Amino acid sequence: MPNSSQGEPVEAVVDPGGDVATGLLIDAGAVLASSLELATTMGQVARLTVPGLADLCVIDLLAEDGSIRDVAVACSGVDLAHELEELRAAYPLDPQGEHPVAGVIRDGEPVLLAEMSRGLLSSFAQGSEHARFMIEHGYSSAVVAPLKARERTLGALSTLRLGDGEPYREEDVELVVELARRAALAIDNARLFSQLRRTQEAESFMSEASRVLASSMDYADTLQRVARLVVPRIADWCAIDVLDEQKRIERVAVHHSDPARLELAGHLDRDYRPTLDEPLGVPEVIRTGSSRVYTDIPPDALAEYARDNRHLELLSSIGAKAVIIVPMIGAAGPIGAITLVSAESEHTLSEADLGVAERLARRAGTAVEHARLYTERGRIAHTLQQALLPEALPEIPGADIRARYCAAGELNEVGGDFYDVLYHGAERWMLMIGDVCGKGPRAAGVTALARHTLRAAAISGQTSTQMLHTLHRALRLQPPGADLCTVCLVTLERTAERARLKVALAGHPPPLLIDVDGHARTIGRPGTLLGVLDELELAEEGAELRPGETLLLYTDGIPEAGRSHAQLGEDGLIELCKQAPSLGLDALLERIEHEALQRASGSLRDDLALLGLRVCDHALPGDNI
Amino acid sequence: MEVRQGEDRVVLGLHGELDLLGAPMLEEEIAKVEASATTILVLDLGDLQFVDSAGLRVILAAHERSRREGKGFALTQGSDQVQRLFTIAGVSEHLRIIGSPDDLLV
Repeated sequence: MPNSSQGEPVEAVVDPGGDVATGLLIDAGAVLASSLELATTMGQVARLTVPGLADLCVIDLLAEDGSIRDVAVACSGVDLAHELEELRAAYPLDPQGEHPVAGVIRDGEPVLLAEMSRGLLSSFAQGSEHARFMIEHGYSSAVVAPLKARERTLGALSTLRLGDGEPYREEDVELVVELARRAALAIDNARLFSQLRRTQEAESFMSEASRVLASSMDYADTLQRVARLVVPRIADWCAIDVLDEQKRIERVAVHHSDPARLELAGHLDRDYRPTLDEPLGVPEVIRTGSSRVYTDIPPDALAEYARDNRHLELLSSIGAKAVIIVPMIGAAGPIGAITLVSAESEHTLSEADLGVAERLARRAGTAVEHARLYTERGRIAHTLQQALLPEALPEIPGADIRARYCAAGELNEVGGDFYDVLYHGAERWMLMIGDVCGKGPRAAGVTALARHTLRAAAISGQTSTQMLHTLHRALRLQPPGADLCTVCLVTLERTAERARLKVALAGHPPPLLIDVDGHARTIGRPGTLLGVLDELELAEEGAELRPGETLLLYTDGIPEAGRSHAQLGEDGLIELCKQAPSLGLDALLERIEHEALQRASGSLRDDLALLGLRVCDHALPGDNI
Repeated sequence: MEVRQGEDRVVLGLHGELDLLGAPMLEEEIAKVEASATTILVLDLGDLQFVDSAGLRVILAAHERSRREGKGFALTQGSDQVQRLFTIAGVSEHLRIIGSPDDLLV
């Protein structure tokens, strides 16, 4: 115990730092809880320490790829803060280097640099500009503490005193470490939050993109809309290329939010199209089926890639900071690629965006393939359809003959109705109309079989009844469960001014004979439909068609139109025939077809086929008007 | 469609429309009955408004199978449209039409 014999008072020394420290930590608590935005949080932490604890405060964060980026600087002099931020951007800290921040991040332990000499500053400066900066502004004392959360080091918090300020002491280190600990928690939360938001945004983007991709079979249009979806949410530029049948790379879509920039892309597309054999870029991705990410594009790489000066100029003016190219894969391999470029905007593409881009490209690839198959099937269906219908109806002297056909179902569904008109020799013609129950390729096959079997049988001279038996036998030879078929055959024999008819029906609605006043009656006796039962009951019935009279063959799609609610029915059809005297033959058929379509409310469930023949008045070959 | 188990038969009651869409379902139900021990199948068409060739095919196929296997198969009277279709198809003489679902099959 010191003996103060001189009588000088011994003052109890209250630690002046104590209250300041507590106050700072309380403030820190409030500030750090107030925001989940990373940049804001960092800025707030830095500003807390100035000027109370430091003249300058710097926060450096470790990025995913191990580099030290994302700096926040606070200082009473705003210019100084900006200058340091720029320095960091131009000369990023080397994570393996001598700089105390790098050391603290590596070791995870705080460091006190009570007095920093010029020599020390120069030893860890990142270049001469950095050294000059630190010396000019009088870096004198520093504490660097690790930012740690969830047992990981996220970066470092540095507090600095400049000029003649009091140097930091051991006691100050604890405070900075504590502050850094709380700051680290806040920064970690902010990062998790932004990751969560990015994931949610990616999900919502993917579900929107999926909707767009599924919405139409016109894939060029769809891909253009996908490109518009991507910009500017994910990238500044989006371009989509597709491999065509000749293995040429076709640009199907390109988008940028600024139309002037789009024009720039137009020049590139027109004048410098890539070919599949080129080593880099879209051709490479399409050949290999692997994605490519370019996050740092040095100018000389562009120069190497460019074909000539103008090409280089165009490429440079895109101003790409990062590029991601992902393959669109179809069933047999890559069929194209999607290119994303970030240029002007804040957000630069990185590996994190690759996941979303690849998912998008996979779905786009599937959608393009489906659309192509759909169109291809449509072409096949159309070709097949042609086999079921005669290209042109033969001319029957003294008579007008017309037909109408409407296939139910979509582009890809081939119908089950058929009709034909054959010259049977010696002023005799055979009119036939039939209906195979079913749809799709198998029914189409049976329909073709039916038409051609009947034709062959007719040409070989068989009678109507024989023809029907022939077809019946052919159908029974088909695999079990085959489709049934109904047929109406009319043999027409031309005499001086009239036509003698013989009608044979096999399960088919009877044709109508319409007289000159529009009264219609059915002709023909019911006969057994073909392909199902063993025994057939078939009969022929005769009739005569006089000048001006009309014979109408049709399939059940006509009377069945409108189903159970507004069905046309045989009665409705007979009613429509009353208009025959005032309508030309084609016009009459059109009227009937129109009525059927109306009743079906535009969505046909069965095919419609009409075959009409009108005997002309001898003086007027052609339509009666 | 309802399935009713009678004393000596199964009755399938059809309603509304029997067409390309509904035919497979009927086919399935008929197959179940054919696989069981029941020897008489009746289609109750009393409530059936519309049938097309797809429905007709299922009915005729069932008729043929019942003939081959010596089992009973009958239909009750359907609507005018249904009966008209049977007539046009030339099968009304072949199919067994009964007055009500539980009538004796003669």
